[in-house]
Amino acid sequence: MSDPQNTLNHDIKLLIIDALGLEDISAQDIGDEQTLFGEGLGLDSVDALELGLAIQKKYGIKIDADAKDTRNHFTSVASLAAFVTAKQAA
Amino acid sequence: MKWIALEQLLHPADAPRTVSFAPALDHASLCQQALQVAAGLQLRGVKRIAVHLEDAAQLAVALLGAWRAGVQVLLPADLQAQTRQRWLGEVELWLSDQPQDTTLEALFEAPLAAADLNLDQCRLSLCTSGSSGEPKRIDKSLRQLANEVQALEQLWGKDLGAACIIGSVATQHIYGLLFRVLWPLCAGRPFVRRQLPFPEDLQRASREHPAFAWVASPALLKRMGDNLDWPALSPVRRVFSSGGELPASAAQALHQRLQQWPTEILGSSETGGIAWRQGDSLWQPFAEVRLSQNQDGALRIESPYLPPGHIEQSADAVEFAADGRFRLLGRLDRIVKLEEKRISLPMLEQALIEHAWVEDARLGVIQENRASLGALLVLSAVGLYALRNQGRRALTEGLRQHLSQHCEALALPRRWRLLRQLPFNAQGKLPQAELQALLLAPRPKGPEVLSQAEVDGELQLQLAVSADLAYFNGHFPQTPVLPGVVQVDWALALGQQLLDRPRQFAGMEVLKFQQLVRPGDPLQLTLRFDAERGKLYFAYSNAGVPCSSGRIVLEAIGE
Repeated sequence: MSDPQNTLNHDIKLLIIDALGLEDISAQDIGDEQTLFGEGLGLDSVDALELGLAIQKKYGIKIDADAKDTRNHFTSVASLAAFVTAKQAA
Repeated sequence: MKWIALEQLLHPADAPRTVSFAPALDHASLCQQALQVAAGLQLRGVKRIAVHLEDAAQLAVALLGAWRAGVQVLLPADLQAQTRQRWLGEVELWLSDQPQDTTLEALFEAPLAAADLNLDQCRLSLCTSGSSGEPKRIDKSLRQLANEVQALEQLWGKDLGAACIIGSVATQHIYGLLFRVLWPLCAGRPFVRRQLPFPEDLQRASREHPAFAWVASPALLKRMGDNLDWPALSPVRRVFSSGGELPASAAQALHQRLQQWPTEILGSSETGGIAWRQGDSLWQPFAEVRLSQNQDGALRIESPYLPPGHIEQSADAVEFAADGRFRLLGRLDRIVKLEEKRISLPMLEQALIEHAWVEDARLGVIQENRASLGALLVLSAVGLYALRNQGRRALTEGLRQHLSQHCEALALPRRWRLLRQLPFNAQGKLPQAELQALLLAPRPKGPEVLSQAEVDGELQLQLAVSADLAYFNGHFPQTPVLPGVVQVDWALALGQQLLDRPRQFAGMEVLKFQQLVRPGDPLQLTLRFDAERGKLYFAYSNAGVPCSSGRIVLEAIGE
């Protein structure tokens, strides 16, 4: 895995911790492929809404409101990173 | 569109009338299916069932079918194991989407005949979530529900016209049930089957219909971003918001984007709707709702949406205007709402205190991007031991796990502050402002100075090492100890008062670390300054046992 990829994953973890106020969790505690919602990290749908806003703001991207299943990108840090990368390239 | 009264919904309409889509369902098929379900329930001889269905149209079929068969319906808030356990003795059949339960289709038998429903004998029970104590069952008659949908139609039916009803809230609760299912059914408005919690989904569904209205929650409405196509959404006939408070800023943002104010509904599972407002700070009571106040100024409600003769006493402090409208002033108890979920702080505090690690606890709400709970804890000896030997993460995770048996994940504290004692004031009270300040403060980096005295040129200090020190996090994750460099920093900072002139750090001599300093330790610190040599002597001990000592060389600044 290339370094920029690792950096992006790490940044997204920090964004999750910061946007959702997860004080006692550090970036190392979140796995790249770990499920963020429900079981796993235990986030809920309000967190998903918050995270959607935070990701769009931080990376200057827009979640395409007309595409289907956009929320699938929010499964894990790795899928979020892939989404951000694809959006920034577009 | 012709209004069909709730009790007559099992009679197919004369004209074709769409109930829902994907798959399409019209009113005649809805009646047919409900009567088939009624037959299935009757055949099984059940009298009380629990229903939890994602699909609002299926829910409509289940409700009408059960009522036709004289079966009472309970709508549990969720399907978690504790919830099932709680209602085990009260229901004979679970109708849900989960594999272990009965499906709607499994109940289909040759249909019963259509009939009017009995407004007083048909019963529905709603549940408040477990976070406000024991999950509470609220029994309603069909008449109460019928009264309410009738009133809603009179207020807003004309504006809504043939709008398709799109909802972001669950139909297990009173608001979603009335606004997404029962009201549209009676009015002949189609509705979207699924709950759509995300703004993008709401937009897509909206675009599929020439006319639409939203049944939404503050959680969604305050988080709708610029990525949406607002011009395309602005034809929305009405935006309903209920379940919790919609911040004025969110209402304003919606007004700016949609050129209409959201319609906010104030109500509860117990009372149904109480009042509404649109772009106004004052609440307008629903037409047949009679309001008054008790001696504490809390709202009392009499309403046709309550059982006859029942007066509901709320804990909402209010102030009435001359015209009968009112302003909400806040709760008189410590029940808070987090993203529309009702949470009893005393109940969760009690649950925390029951844990062996906790001596005392207080909770408060932290309003950041999203509202969450913060906990102020005084650890017991066992708790301190756990912190010292397993680390902070294990401690807070353990407590969250413990609490998760008592509340939804959303109510689990995200911020923890470990205190030596709670900040009771002279009157023995804990001022909420003080709790709030402690929750918002960053974790401490300095020692707590309990006392200090100067004896023969020596400064003797009694210190407490907070269990909450920020330094304990990475040092070390599973066994927090006070870093040596921090001990030196503290000695230097506390020794400033002994110095003869401004000086700066120039080095260390005979530094010794003899015993680890751990969270919660009481420390004695002795400081002596030798002006001639420019050295600050420090020695830390814990109950007479030396922990560390050394000399800090300090050079005068500017010489």
